[in-house]
Amino acid sequence: MFCKPSWRTLLLSTTTVLAVGVISPDARADIPDENYQPVLAHLLGTVMPPKLDDFHAATENLTSEFKNFCSDPDNGGLEDTQAAFHAAMDIWQEIQPWRMGPLVANGRDQHIEYWPDKHGTAARQFRKLMFDKPAAYTDPEKLSGASAALQGFPALEEVLFADDHGDQMIAADEDGVFLCQYGTAIATNLGTLSGELQAEWPEFATAMENAGPDSMDYPTAKFAATDLYRALHEGLLIISSQKLARPLGDGAEDASAGRAESPIAGRSLRNIEHNLIGLFAIYDGTWGDVGEEGKGLAALIDNSLLDRSFKLNWQTVGDTVAELPSSVAEVLEQPDGYAVLTDLKGQIDFLTTLVENDVGGNTQLGGGFNALDGD
Amino acid sequence: MAYQRRSFLKLMGVGGAFTLLPMGLARAATTPNPEDRAVYISASAGDNGDYYVSAFNASGKILFEQPLPGRGHDIGLRPNHVDVAAVERRPGLYGLILDRHTGDVRAKLHCPEDRRFYGHAIYSNDGRYLYITENDFDHARGVVSLWDAEDGYRRVAEFDSFGTGPHELHLMPDGDHLVIANGGLHTHPDQDGRTPLNISSMQPNLSIIDRRTGKLAHQAALKHDWHKLSIRHLDVASNGAIAAGFQYQGDLTDQVPLVGIWQPGSDIRPIEAPDTVQYRMRQYCGSVRFDASGQVFGISCPRGGLVTFWDAQTNDFLTHIAAPDGCGLAATDRAGEFVGTSGLGNGWRMDAIRRKRVELPDDSLKSQHWDNHLRRIIA
Repeated sequence: MFCKPSWRTLLLSTTTVLAVGVISPDARADIPDENYQPVLAHLLGTVMPPKLDDFHAATENLTSEFKNFCSDPDNGGLEDTQAAFHAAMDIWQEIQPWRMGPLVANGRDQHIEYWPDKHGTAARQFRKLMFDKPAAYTDPEKLSGASAALQGFPALEEVLFADDHGDQMIAADEDGVFLCQYGTAIATNLGTLSGELQAEWPEFATAMENAGPDSMDYPTAKFAATDLYRALHEGLLIISSQKLARPLGDGAEDASAGRAESPIAGRSLRNIEHNLIGLFAIYDGTWGDVGEEGKGLAALIDNSLLDRSFKLNWQTVGDTVAELPSSVAEVLEQPDGYAVLTDLKGQIDFLTTLVENDVGGNTQLGGGFNALDGD
Repeated sequence: MAYQRRSFLKLMGVGGAFTLLPMGLARAATTPNPEDRAVYISASAGDNGDYYVSAFNASGKILFEQPLPGRGHDIGLRPNHVDVAAVERRPGLYGLILDRHTGDVRAKLHCPEDRRFYGHAIYSNDGRYLYITENDFDHARGVVSLWDAEDGYRRVAEFDSFGTGPHELHLMPDGDHLVIANGGLHTHPDQDGRTPLNISSMQPNLSIIDRRTGKLAHQAALKHDWHKLSIRHLDVASNGAIAAGFQYQGDLTDQVPLVGIWQPGSDIRPIEAPDTVQYRMRQYCGSVRFDASGQVFGISCPRGGLVTFWDAQTNDFLTHIAAPDGCGLAATDRAGEFVGTSGLGNGWRMDAIRRKRVELPDDSLKSQHWDNHLRRIIA
């Protein structure tokens, strides 16, 4: 077990590690391309598929719960459906940062969760939907061709958690009946999307694992592994620049929990907690009970001190998020809430720096001459 | 000759190798071909903060390396002359006129104190004038300077670029107009000269000016929602169509086009690749080049490590080829074919029509990090 120093203390300790224990990446010999292949095979072939199975199962369960609830609506059924929503959203938030291949094909990630919604499109379209109540939106197949803002988790969140929608569904009034049918269609569509993701992943993983000079997509295993590094790096950037910076705004007076992710379900920080689990899997190779420690990008780092330091820093940030309430709104209600969130953003930014310097440098996946400093 | 001999031995030495070789190289090894005489020239860098203009032949053999005082960017080619212009990338202070055959320095250009070069230069068709994009940083104004090559490269005038942060410029097919990509980003040497200072208010555009008078002839911008798409690089087809590559200054997850086609007089038409490719372009285009036929253009995306190819007739996405850290692009004399270079030292011949990528055989190319742009010279 690690003790828990402050993240600023850890910054100093890591700096020391860098000073005494790490050879400049420039001075290192190139990592042989075959060293990247087992990392690809482990992360893409062993770790991710069971998680996609879990996600698909969670969305199928969500659909079942919705149907059960709507067949005889009551408070217990609503709570069960909301719990199923949270379970599906938890695993989605772990998968979400692996932005590559089937996850982004056909705009799939946006159809699963349209966010950030900078122009308030979802709220505007939802109001119109409730006014018109078009039958097409209760048909999962037709819904799949509709606006992304009306067919994924944020729309379902609106149905299940907003205003008096739960009461309306239990009352089974005109709005409530439509909400039940529409919500069931969204859940069903999410099941379809997660099934497509599950089905398409193996072919993508095989293409990555079979990287070679004849491939026009992945000419080397190192190049394929770069997508994993980028997912790790960009995942942290997105947490900082969107999931935290947007609600923080330009200052305490400008802060708004409404700009956070999943604000109605009150789980914006819970989302980040799960993002960090999925992202850490890329580095470490373990994801819950799946995978094996040290078989992610960490396998490419020949420095146990740096590896331990990185994990310690990550654990510190993960613990910080876990100890916070589930939503940005709850934190901002506290007297020092803005400072707490600002501090969390600083910790995420610090992790980003470690990924760029330690992981990017030592795995030699951090980017080339033009990618890092083009014009 | 060494290259031809090596290729010949390769062909003869291994059973079946002939049929495995790409047809282009097979032809090159057996019969004289214009491609054999092509020379490619680019800014480059070594491993220790050392910068060059370097040239290599069609097999990738380096022909010369001319050290530069700072990092270069693009190379301007003087028509029917040995001169080439290497202008320092932003915020640049120097420009060197080099002999394209040897790399020898023939003239030096000095940027005025209140201006900074932006890495791109182009000659008039008669070779007399050199045009360079510059930043008038105290006024957040882009300018195009004129240098008289027949008068010792004397700076003779400057025109407004009609935008901020001008970057690549090209002659239009009529030879009388210049098209300028005004990237929209204001930078200042007091703040490192590269950090954008106006992202929230940036207004990129494409402008066409009369190269003799500086008068604005055409201008187009993207819709306001896309004002963070910095229009940086472009190429012009013989029919006047302009292909442009963008660099997005907004969020990673924003869904924005990264390529545009402009027929002067109309709006810029944004075009997109399929999602899985568009995502891999990583919001950043590095270099734009039409092929020899003008029917295909390539756009490199070094952050995503791929080159995208587009049909210039239909403006549809054609295909993509992975090119780790690839950025420099030059058209060969064959339709749909390009030579690409990378910051990792690679050079490839890429066929957009058959979706093929062949590494240039000479390893000397790998001693350099090849910079943003590549130009092809017929020796």
